[in-house]
Amino acid sequence: MNGSVISLLLRRFSWRHARLAPRATALLVGILALGVAVFVSIRLANRAAVSSFTHFTDTLTGQSDLIVQAPAGTLPESVLPELRAALGVRPVHIVPVVEATAAEALAAGEAAGFGRKTYTLLGVDLLALANLASQSNVERSYFDQGQAQKVGGRGARDNEVGVGDFWRAFAAGPQVWVSAALASTPPKILALVFDERVRTLPVVGVIPTAKDAPRVPANLLVLDLPHLQQITGKVGRLDRVEFLVEPGPRASERRAELQTLLEKLGGERWIVTTPGTRRESAETMTRAFRLNLTILSLIALLVGLYLIFQALDGAVVRRRTEIAILRSLGVEERVIQLAWLTEAAVLGLLGGALGLVLGWAGAQFAVRAVGQTVNALYYATTVEAASLAPGELVLGLGLGLGASLVAGWWPARLAASTPPAQVLPRGAPPAAGGRWQRSFALGAGCVGLGVVLAQLSPLRLDGGGRFPLAGYAAAFFWIFGGGLMAGWLLPLVARGARIWGVAWAPARIALSHLRRPSGRHRLSVAALHCAVGMAAGMAILVASFELTVRSWIVRSLQADLYVASAGAQNASMDNFISAEAADRLASHPAVADAARFTAYPLELGGIPTLLSGTDLGLMHVRSDLPWVRPPRDPAIWQTERNARLALVSEAFVERFGKKPGDTLRLPTPGGVQAVVIAGVFADYGNERGSILVDRTHLKAWFADARVTNVSLWLKPEVDADTVRAELLREFPGLAVFTNVKLRAEVLRIFRQTFAITYALEVIAVLVAVIGLALTLTSVLLDRREELTTLRALGFTRRELAGAAALEGGVVAAAAVVGGLVLSVALGWLLIYVINKQSFGWTLEFSVPWGQLVALTVAVVGTGVAVSYLVGRWGADLPADREE
Amino acid sequence: MMMKKLFEVMRVYGLVVGAAASLWAQAPLITAEGFAVPQAGKTFSFPRDHGAHPDFKLEWWYVTGHLFKEGAEGAGGRRLGFQATFFRQAAPDKSVQLHLAHMAIIDVATGRFLHQERLNRAGWDAGSAEETLEVRQGNWSLRLSDPAAAAGAERMELRGGVQAEAALALTLTPVKPLVVFGENSISRKGAAPTAASYYLTFSRLRAEGDVTLGAEKFSVRGEAWMDHEISSSQLDTNQVGWDWVSVQFTDQRELMMYRLRTRDGGADPASSLTWVDAAGKPLQQKFSWEVLETWKSPATGAVYPSRVAVSTTDPATGAAVRYTLEPLARDQELPGRLGGIAYWEGACRVRDAAGKEVGSAYMELTGYAAELKL
Repeated sequence: MNGSVISLLLRRFSWRHARLAPRATALLVGILALGVAVFVSIRLANRAAVSSFTHFTDTLTGQSDLIVQAPAGTLPESVLPELRAALGVRPVHIVPVVEATAAEALAAGEAAGFGRKTYTLLGVDLLALANLASQSNVERSYFDQGQAQKVGGRGARDNEVGVGDFWRAFAAGPQVWVSAALASTPPKILALVFDERVRTLPVVGVIPTAKDAPRVPANLLVLDLPHLQQITGKVGRLDRVEFLVEPGPRASERRAELQTLLEKLGGERWIVTTPGTRRESAETMTRAFRLNLTILSLIALLVGLYLIFQALDGAVVRRRTEIAILRSLGVEERVIQLAWLTEAAVLGLLGGALGLVLGWAGAQFAVRAVGQTVNALYYATTVEAASLAPGELVLGLGLGLGASLVAGWWPARLAASTPPAQVLPRGAPPAAGGRWQRSFALGAGCVGLGVVLAQLSPLRLDGGGRFPLAGYAAAFFWIFGGGLMAGWLLPLVARGARIWGVAWAPARIALSHLRRPSGRHRLSVAALHCAVGMAAGMAILVASFELTVRSWIVRSLQADLYVASAGAQNASMDNFISAEAADRLASHPAVADAARFTAYPLELGGIPTLLSGTDLGLMHVRSDLPWVRPPRDPAIWQTERNARLALVSEAFVERFGKKPGDTLRLPTPGGVQAVVIAGVFADYGNERGSILVDRTHLKAWFADARVTNVSLWLKPEVDADTVRAELLREFPGLAVFTNVKLRAEVLRIFRQTFAITYALEVIAVLVAVIGLALTLTSVLLDRREELTTLRALGFTRRELAGAAALEGGVVAAAAVVGGLVLSVALGWLLIYVINKQSFGWTLEFSVPWGQLVALTVAVVGTGVAVSYLVGRWGADLPADREE
Repeated sequence: MMMKKLFEVMRVYGLVVGAAASLWAQAPLITAEGFAVPQAGKTFSFPRDHGAHPDFKLEWWYVTGHLFKEGAEGAGGRRLGFQATFFRQAAPDKSVQLHLAHMAIIDVATGRFLHQERLNRAGWDAGSAEETLEVRQGNWSLRLSDPAAAAGAERMELRGGVQAEAALALTLTPVKPLVVFGENSISRKGAAPTAASYYLTFSRLRAEGDVTLGAEKFSVRGEAWMDHEISSSQLDTNQVGWDWVSVQFTDQRELMMYRLRTRDGGADPASSLTWVDAAGKPLQQKFSWEVLETWKSPATGAVYPSRVAVSTTDPATGAAVRYTLEPLARDQELPGRLGGIAYWEGACRVRDAAGKEVGSAYMELTGYAAELKL
């Protein structure tokens, strides 16, 4: 019975209204869709960026069970016979791996800079690879690439030639296999930068894979192990050893047994991990960053929530009479409520579905932006496309549905509580929104709660990550509370406007509405306030960040020239300059001083960080570090006294919970080194934190004289550009930056990492402005009778449009005023709580006035323009039309 | 795949015991690629000659055998067959040595045939010692228990398995002296002067140890056969494959035969059959080969002889004898993914003309899945 009543109601009531106002319905679906789309696209992009942290070896070997690697640096090859002997008869494949990164060499005349195509090179024993079970259905081996056309039962002679081909391919010098995804026809050769040298490597063919194997990333290059060892100067060394337990009976038991054996055998020499933990550590590394993006991506939906609430509420008010009649016909409250919720649910599902499509499309752009940031800050990703997983289909629809149900709940209850027609007072004032919407006290309470929450410490994630949950909760309460309070701005602004704008009758009409703002006005203000506040808050964060980074750059980049391998393109690359090349740079006649800098990735208690070394004495004289806690004892500057001292970055302090005076135990190839933290410096280039020691000691610990980069101070009256050109000629594999150019590059990368956050804010503001149009439409519909009367009194269409424009303009202005106040609060929260807790960086507060003024003008201007158009449309509304 | 040809060559060379004995006197010292060639009158010294001979291009250690679960040796007891082979091949420019290995186990009761293949360059995970018998491939190995054991006092340890499904840990003790096949230490393989090998065989080894099959581990006893063959030569192009058999009779004698099939469907004159008497002395006899039944491999589509009869003369009695070889399981085919050739290598039961079981055999059938083009 109830079911049939509901379906009748939906058909004859809800659907009729939707048909009568197709544009408003479409707009609602559109807003929901946009909110869902933004969330979905960020989610897809995030997932793609994380999944693109490929444990590259997996694409060659199938999943390894265990991985052995040195806590820092490489392992000697002599561990291999030791491992095999220790494993005895256990059926385990041992796969030694060397991994390297390289950038494409510059074509002649090309400008140096970051952002060149980079490759991950994997060196494994390509002959032994075929022994793995995962390779059993690979059709061709690495050394058979030229054989395709020869197979097919020709004469004996051809096949003898074939045997020769195998040996030729096998005995050839360094050569690479490329991914099928790299190009439709693989290039014949690749010119790559390793350290300071450019090497040209012949391409043999495509990496052979089984049909069901995971796709080989486009930037993966495969070499035979000895070749890559030779190219990277790791002869006799290994980056890691992977273990594949033969599948079969008791496999998990044997895996556990192997892990115990390896841990016992290794002692402090190596760390035993699994590809899972490596992937997890990549995930935890970027978790804070990705969570931040996810939260930002929800703003558009949050703003959308206000608007949907508003639209449904408006519909309830307008159809009040009809509902009253239905009630008097005996339709139960429950049924009416259900019909409204069903209507909201249908809108939500439509919006969710459309949002999925839009979100997928948006993800194709977002994925690049997210990928760039991950690349710049964390590790090499190769992500190029994002795809929709089945779970995300459900999530997108669920989000649309959930949002519309949350927003529709109150209007549905309102509809259900409509009294029957007999008792419905004719022309009763529309009771838009609940009483709570007008509660200043509730708003103030929320703001107060936010202040308390902002004082709490962050949530600690595994692997050294931190997530400012309380900080975000504070932001939420401020946005919500601020939204409630912003409604109170309307009468104030209206009263203020009245002082100079009462002569014109339409203005008086507009302001009279605003002096007693309806719930609808309040909601519109709240939505815009939220969007403006977030966007402006973000702008404040970025401006503060930029100011800080600028002053950091000025302080820390003081040399005239910076030299690094042109292969080093991002945070995760491991390209060095040879000791000889560094010496030649230092002894160049134009060079007065040269500071060598070397950095190695290091794991400290399972958390990845960076261990670096430089000539601390020279640095002290030449360019001071930007200090957070300067060292008190000058011993740190003297090589003979600083062997047991270290400086750490601010991010390190946050991540590892250490302070000056604490001792760190650094696992190095030369044994565990205990160092005491002497001071803390600021470093905005590295979120993992870093430890800085004197390079003399680092060199001894790692038995490695290579350097990551060299800073050169030139003699007076030497032109930096001339020296740079000279160095580039001499070392074609080096990237040489002048001071000015490097500063610009650093800032460019910095801005690039914020590109996506900006995009998210712009979308939220856009949604809010559309919402303003929707609000006014709704308001004017409510006032059909009044409008007809005004037209009858002689008001022109333009005058009515003007009145609407003023009304919209004041709403926008009130929202902007509230939004700016909110933005300062959010900016403070982002800088001193959220950012500090997530990344461990202290920033100076800076307000980008220009941007805020532009935002104000844009929002108020668009508000006025949109309202004017809505007003023109509203002026022609017939009083007797339904909607 | 390329490795196909390489290891076909290796196996064929060893089997083709030369008929052209008159030619060996002129054998050159090296092949065109510069590898050593087997020389007549070679005096083997042990344990050194159990080890690798990297001057030669090809070499392998080939162990096959029949095992019975301890305490169930009689009829109806648990019976297994195994094959464990280690190959070595030098690159034409001698820059590197490659090692290939095959393992196979047949569980006669269930007919379940397990096998695995591995290929590695010489180094930390594969290799062969020169001074003594010590060949290894991952967790598989074959070595002398006492690396310095003198001739006649050898005892070998075989460790092998198939993935994680099966494991073998066997001690192999010769119960008969080493046989040197061929004449004057050299075994001819064809008309070409370089086509010769050193062919050393333990025709009967006592095998004892443990076998693990799935989750089950048990002690086994049985008998094994081991070839060690060293050569560098090239092969004729008119042969399409071969059939090879090793028989261990219950009367402590053995028989080894191979038959080289030519393109025209016949057998190469180099084909031969050799008896080994109870004292370990070899003697060649004429023979004929008859296919009684065939089996089509579902994996490769190859049609293999499945039951065959070998007719020859028993040198002890001078009587004509006819033995039937019956595979203990039909599917004992090795797909040869890495080495590249599919071949059938399986444990057989041997019956005399009266149908009485007189011994066990291993039979090897190659060139049936695809013509061997060498």
